Amino acid sequence: MKRLSSILGIAAAVLTVAFAVVTPFIWSGAYNRLGAAMSNLRIDPVYTGGEPARTLERPGYQIVVYRPVPKRAFLSEAGAFVQIVWKPASALPAHVVEEIDVDGDGRPDLVASFDVPRDPRAGLRLSVKPLDSRFQALNGIGKESFSALIARVNDTIVVRVPER
Amino acid sequence: MADATLPIVPEATPAKAWPTPHRSAGRSLLLTLPMALFTLLLITPGLRQPGLAMHLAALVSWAFMIVLFYLMIKTMETYRWRRIFFVALGFLFPIGFIWDLIALRSSMSIPMERMLSGDTPFCFMVIPMTIIPAALTRTIIFPGSILPTASNPHSIAAMVALWILATIILGKAWCSYGCFFGGLDEGFSSIRKKALIRKIDPKWRLAPWAMLVAIVLLSAATYEPTYCMWLCPFKAVTEFIAVRNVETAIQFGIFAALFVGLVVVLPILTKRRTQCGFFCPFGAFQSIFNRTSVFDVRIQHEKCGGCVLCQNKCPTLALDKESISQGKAHNSCMRCGACVDVCRKHLAVWHIKGTPVGASPERARLLGLYAAWAFAAMFGGSTIANTLHKLFGLMM
Repeated sequence: MKRLSSILGIAAAVLTVAFAVVTPFIWSGAYNRLGAAMSNLRIDPVYTGGEPARTLERPGYQIVVYRPVPKRAFLSEAGAFVQIVWKPASALPAHVVEEIDVDGDGRPDLVASFDVPRDPRAGLRLSVKPLDSRFQALNGIGKESFSALIARVNDTIVVRVPER
Repeated sequence: MADATLPIVPEATPAKAWPTPHRSAGRSLLLTLPMALFTLLLITPGLRQPGLAMHLAALVSWAFMIVLFYLMIKTMETYRWRRIFFVALGFLFPIGFIWDLIALRSSMSIPMERMLSGDTPFCFMVIPMTIIPAALTRTIIFPGSILPTASNPHSIAAMVALWILATIILGKAWCSYGCFFGGLDEGFSSIRKKALIRKIDPKWRLAPWAMLVAIVLLSAATYEPTYCMWLCPFKAVTEFIAVRNVETAIQFGIFAALFVGLVVVLPILTKRRTQCGFFCPFGAFQSIFNRTSVFDVRIQHEKCGGCVLCQNKCPTLALDKESISQGKAHNSCMRCGACVDVCRKHLAVWHIKGTPVGASPERARLLGLYAAWAFAAMFGGSTIANTLHKLFGLMM
């Protein structure tokens, strides 16, 4: 029995060495397979903004309205919000004022307004006038929190409006 | 005064030093040859890229890894040579990382825009914090991307796959061969010849477990990687959330204070890896996989004179009177080799589980070393080469 366990132990050690040697050559395959296995997982909507609900066409640009993201855990600092994305940012007018129908009922729920500086590094300021009581008013905010912000991400303008 | 911190057992019998074995140069070269060929294969892509700086970086990194491996084989010592690699990794990784950040965005802080676009590199430290939220809601509470993208090669799948492979190969030895943060801790703990703080309660060994439980539960409750947001000392030398309000300013203050305290000052004063041994929750998480690793360290306690040199040398308090009397280290042992190298009677030995203790410790060491060094060359060697490439590029 002791001899058998010795043989098994040494075999396992040799296999570990062999595995270490092939690791650099199987890593990319391993993470691709792992990525496929993780396809039922999603990145937290607090970072991604959640799922797009519909796209509003405007002359030269689009507005993508996302599904509302609820508050996550009971201790979470990020509250409920809805994300709205304007793209491409380079096609937007210098000043944007848009009535947005968030829930798709045909009536506008909020009015978002912001300037679009040509310098992509320039700061952005967002004001929101709620037309529906479930949204909060915002007055010239920047990147306050993950649930209340305006930011330029690549060639898009990402806006998040907090829900009450 | 002894280089001791835990004077639990006085030196019972004067340890009669047994002769230190050395291998012949020819045999050492022969044993180094497989590793030299393997690592040569690893640097080949670097040599194919244009530029003298890249070629030089690849060759210097290769020579560095192979010379250290040769010395480990020749002198039959592990700790001394491994530490040189590990400290180099610990210091060169942040240099290369910060270099890239400055080149990319002139700042070490992560702007919110990068978090929104999924471009935050995934760090293995986050893994334990993501498990409960992923299991309950299929959500990963980290602002990265699942598969690698052009703007974020360090995706979640890539880093988790690397961690799984590392854990199969190394177990907790990850903390001695793989973790690019541990090298900083080890480097600062090597500065002084003798410790200024010698008495450390062995219960501190359990602190990382408390930290692990706390951050896993807090992360599940807040849906945020709590350790990364509030407690990771290495944010101070990698990247951190941009300071934009009082909360983020406090976060940065905590990162900096913990880095200075746990990674710089305390290791210098105690000669222990205080961040790794008494704080790091990922280290505790990795200890679980010591059970699955085939390699371990044993103490032939029946022949031991009780000099406690091994106990005093252990950087993470993995050895104490109790564990020595049981002939093995506590679960926090990170296979650094310090106890094996310091034992004058060679009673602290490398061991393959299932085999008789002390029957062939050098065979166990060699097999463990081949596995660990192959991983170290792949992961750490490429990290060292990347930073050297930048530094050489600056000089040429």
